[in-house]
Amino acid sequence: MRIAFAGNPNSGKTTMYNALTGRSEKVGNWGGVTVGTKEFKIKDEYAGGKDVTAVDLPGAYSMSPFTPEEGITSEYVRTANPDAIINIVDATNLSRSLFFTTQLLELGIPVVVALNKSDINEKEGTEIDVAKLSEKLKCPVFETTSTEGKGLSDVIGKAISLAGSSQDAPYIQADINLHDKAAVDAEDRKRYSFVNDIVAAVEKRKQLSSETTGSDKADAILTNPVAGIIIFAAVMYCVFWISQTALGPAIADWLVGWIETFQEWVAGQLENSPAIVSTILADGIVGGVGAVVGFLPLVVVMYFLIALLEDCGYMTRVSAVMDPIFKRVGLSGKSVIPVVIGTGCGIPAIMACRTIRDERERRATSMLATFIPCGAKIPVIALFAGAFFAGAGWVSTISYFLGLALIFLGALLIKWITGYKYRKSFFIMELPKWKMPSLKFAFKSMMERARAYIIKAATIILVCNLVVQLMQTYNWQFQIVEEGAENTSILASIATPFAFLLIPLGFGAWQLAAAAITGFIAKENVVGTLAVVYGLTAFIDVDELEMTGGANTVAATMGMTAVAALAYLFFNLYTPPCFAAIGAMNSEMQSKGWLWGAIGLQLGTGYTVAFLVYQTGTLMTEGHLGTGFLPGLIAVLCMAAAVYFIGKKTRAHFDEQYELHRKDGKQGAAA
Amino acid sequence: MQAELTLKGITKEEALEVKDRMTLLEAETGKTYTVKEINTDDDDMNSFLFRLGCYEGEPITLVSKKKNSCIVVIKDGRYNLDELLSEAIIV
Repeated sequence: MRIAFAGNPNSGKTTMYNALTGRSEKVGNWGGVTVGTKEFKIKDEYAGGKDVTAVDLPGAYSMSPFTPEEGITSEYVRTANPDAIINIVDATNLSRSLFFTTQLLELGIPVVVALNKSDINEKEGTEIDVAKLSEKLKCPVFETTSTEGKGLSDVIGKAISLAGSSQDAPYIQADINLHDKAAVDAEDRKRYSFVNDIVAAVEKRKQLSSETTGSDKADAILTNPVAGIIIFAAVMYCVFWISQTALGPAIADWLVGWIETFQEWVAGQLENSPAIVSTILADGIVGGVGAVVGFLPLVVVMYFLIALLEDCGYMTRVSAVMDPIFKRVGLSGKSVIPVVIGTGCGIPAIMACRTIRDERERRATSMLATFIPCGAKIPVIALFAGAFFAGAGWVSTISYFLGLALIFLGALLIKWITGYKYRKSFFIMELPKWKMPSLKFAFKSMMERARAYIIKAATIILVCNLVVQLMQTYNWQFQIVEEGAENTSILASIATPFAFLLIPLGFGAWQLAAAAITGFIAKENVVGTLAVVYGLTAFIDVDELEMTGGANTVAATMGMTAVAALAYLFFNLYTPPCFAAIGAMNSEMQSKGWLWGAIGLQLGTGYTVAFLVYQTGTLMTEGHLGTGFLPGLIAVLCMAAAVYFIGKKTRAHFDEQYELHRKDGKQGAAA
Repeated sequence: MQAELTLKGITKEEALEVKDRMTLLEAETGKTYTVKEINTDDDDMNSFLFRLGCYEGEPITLVSKKKNSCIVVIKDGRYNLDELLSEAIIV
């Protein structure tokens, strides 16, 4: 038996779904968090021993879709024939929500209405006559508070008992020609006045929604173009500072101690085994994976803080304040949400683009969102900041700001390439009520991500490390590589041709190329692989590195200048994200041209940024250009030329189309 | 009166229009108005606004406004509107 969850955006569908199924799908206090369907079995305590599947759907204001994710919902309830629908209604906005409710009631599928957020109504003194509402809608209605689990068993129990039966509609749309816009409009008006009458009969408000409240005053400041942006910058700075300078590293130090103890214990256990086994197990697996896990605290502290921001309702205010700026470069205020989510992980960030209505803006955002360093890139940043810059905070700060700058520049470039003529781009965003962020929820979300991170470290990263370790240990004749002949290993021979391309960027060593390549599988691999290939396993202990002074072991082993190290870091940050993110881009963009454009743009950006940083940095610090300046310059110019010609071609095509339209309207105007 | 207005080059209807019709950005903060017309030049956008409860004859309250955006109350929800939408909603 399947029960679908439908309702307006931000009415609490996913919170209810999570409570009933025990899942931890992403929730947040804004409309459009859920962008696809999710299914899971409802817990026995609610399902009463029956096999019931809950289907969570993206929020929709009505059956006629406006954005792509709304389309998923109307398509599902129309065609997938669920056995019952639970219509989650935001009880604080009954007058709008019931429009969609009356449409759902027309489908003939039994509907149970959950008047969610009834705790807020209680606080604000809004009373809803549930019995009367139920009578008028001809369906059962229950008051619920999903966040506290109140009323859920009533709703689900009723839905299960009604499943498979039929539903009487309180309001039936007249038989009209659906292609006749005026007739459809007139019908919708009638439906709304039907809804308005119901609301007038069942709802008593102590506080009118139109009254200005304290939160309106706060919103006015937060969406002010000057104050709002300063506050946003300050908030994000605090998030990065707490997670990567203050609290995160403190926990990391403690964790690293444990990992080292464990590694020593493993090495001790393997004392009598062949050297090769102990190298692979103790250094390769435990060391490499440990190097990645050691950064876990930095990542999860950040997830925790971002979860708090998502839960309180701040994200929509940020979108509103950033909209004019993002619009200027050809994106939308809604592009901000993917960017902020992208600090956690690029995949949900790319998926969050689905709420952007304009196709070009949507594709451009999903192409650019991953320039913001994600959680998997934090270990890479922390490693290089620790090894080459004495753990300086500015390395991290500059990584994020450069990422943001690249998003703007990339957006301008896409605007130019696509021949974007001024088209109307509307921005409307519902500002949800502020909510005290729940520490419990943020903790849960953090633990969920930590679990995923550890699983990733124990699977993909472990396997990659093992493969890297083996490829490094053996040569093509499957003999163990002798000391001093490391260049004959399988890994070296594969990575060397790539390393050659990286000479103009200041890091033409095969070890570094190998790490960058494994980074495309998962960015944490960069750290893991470096640990393996350089045999450095304990280099994340920031304190220890500081003790050994500037020319510490890591920097010395890698044999790079600080400038080259920075270039290498940026190369890893701004080249294409992992394969999983590329897969997400593919499914959001629905266009091979755009996908390849995205990969090309990201490769080109990573290469160019690294080239510029290394060459100008070397010029500034050492008074001469770095190695391979000329070939690098030629490569960068070739990329620029490619962009130019692609742009010219698409623009010419665009102009042609535009001219045709003009010719139709105005004779000879464009000829 | 008619003659005076005609002299200035505007008709009586136009003069009334200036007074009675304005965009949200010209409206006064904190006041509730009745929507007179919505024209975004985009049918989908118009019907989206409709589904939120923003259509001719319905009340709309201006909560706050900036140079080129504003926050309004439609039904029981608050929305941030950009310049294009603020100017497309006539009250």
